[in-house]
Amino acid sequence: MSVTKEANEHLVCAILAEQVAALRDRMDASAAFDLLWRTTALLSWLSGLLAENQRHGGQSNPVFERERAEAIVQVAAIRTELDELAFVQAQRQDFARQIADCIVTALERMAVAEMPRGTSFSSGDLAALYVSEDQRKLHDSVLRRLTRG
Amino acid sequence: MPVILVLDDSATMVMSLSHILKGAGYEVEVGMNGREGITRISEGVKPSVILTDLNMPELDGIGFIKEARKIGSTKFTPIIVLTTESGGRKRDEARAAGASGWLTKPAEPNQLLAVVKQLCPAK
Repeated sequence: MSVTKEANEHLVCAILAEQVAALRDRMDASAAFDLLWRTTALLSWLSGLLAENQRHGGQSNPVFERERAEAIVQVAAIRTELDELAFVQAQRQDFARQIADCIVTALERMAVAEMPRGTSFSSGDLAALYVSEDQRKLHDSVLRRLTRG
Repeated sequence: MPVILVLDDSATMVMSLSHILKGAGYEVEVGMNGREGITRISEGVKPSVILTDLNMPELDGIGFIKEARKIGSTKFTPIIVLTTESGGRKRDEARAAGASGWLTKPAEPNQLLAVVKQLCPAK
């Protein structure tokens, strides 16, 4: 490999590392999760108020009583669903961020121009960065596909 | 109120776990890596259960479990690993280090709370 071509590949790796790092940093959805959690906390508070009102209200308007009871059930149900959504999405988002981080690290290492003679960034080095079994399975399937013929 | 120590390098995950656990009646202490977890324990935090990620900077989950098992107050504290890793090799490594259980992300809140409540009911 010529020096120029090698230098060009290192440059491409360095640029790709920065691009993926920018993508990773844009994955931050803390504000959206914070809003979801504040909403569920508010729903929890409202649900408590309604239940308290039901205990002490003593109103004998049957329509109001029925609607209040229905509201308590619905507020509790939507709160549970929002909690679940936020929790699962937070984990998925974190997983995506970790995968992007792994790609950034690999590209940064490949962008280092002065690696010791006779060494390079191997597929084994890449595999050592993985954080999940799914990544390893994908890695193995690509290796199998590319080495078949 | 029982204390749960949560260790994860993702701020979103720490916030998310804290929200779920506080909503279920637990007090939550947090750390962004294993080293911070050991510091919390050294500072006197006595968790009833510890939830830890595996892949963390400075001191990872396995390293944390090994160190926590050397400290008197957490020698027998249940430690649950909550991680994206689902592989048998990692699981064996965590168990050998002293982990009590394992949850693979993405876990549902009910799954998490069922495990925590089994080990330590909220008061």
